[in-house]
Amino acid sequence: MQVKLLAFAQARDQLGWPERVVDCEPGETPRAILARVAPGARLETWRVAVDEEYQSWDSPIGHAREIALIPPVSGG
Amino acid sequence: MEKQILFTHSSIVIPPPVLPSREIGACVEFQGLVRELEQGAALAGLQYEAHESMARKHLDRIFDELCAAHPCAAVLFIHRLGWVPVGEASLFVRVLSSHRGEALRFLADAIDRMKADVPIWKCAKK
Repeated sequence: MQVKLLAFAQARDQLGWPERVVDCEPGETPRAILARVAPGARLETWRVAVDEEYQSWDSPIGHAREIALIPPVSGG
Repeated sequence: MEKQILFTHSSIVIPPPVLPSREIGACVEFQGLVRELEQGAALAGLQYEAHESMARKHLDRIFDELCAAHPCAAVLFIHRLGWVPVGEASLFVRVLSSHRGEALRFLADAIDRMKADVPIWKCAKK
């Protein structure tokens, strides 16, 4: 299956891309996918949203269509 | 509760209030403005971005949760995206309710929740 990875704000700046499509398995976790796609990415301060819902870095993504990398938010 | 959640790349134009009923006794409005000094540095403005569909979905849910705690009749939320010069509004929120207490608490909590969880970002560089 394929999933769309979205990187916003500091995550995009650090990774160097705003969006990419990656091949993955339903049993993979966001942490494992990031480790494969962007080894060395500093995830400590980022949250991850799977299909627009915040989720643990260590939960399988299932049949998700989108994974968004969410650095600390600062709206307003 | 009537909810309107808008994002705009242009200056925020504040629409006149439309009262959903004759029971509205409070109209509370807030504008967030871009300040020149951010962490000691002088800025010309701020660049805003959002995961728009996710932000909309989470704001909608937050407003429903807050309405259960502080019953209000309507909320209008407008957030600007893109470059916002110093002195201009990046955020406008209007809450209508029967009594001021609910509207004031709803507004304060809504902004706190937005700043904690809604995927919107500001950045000092253009």
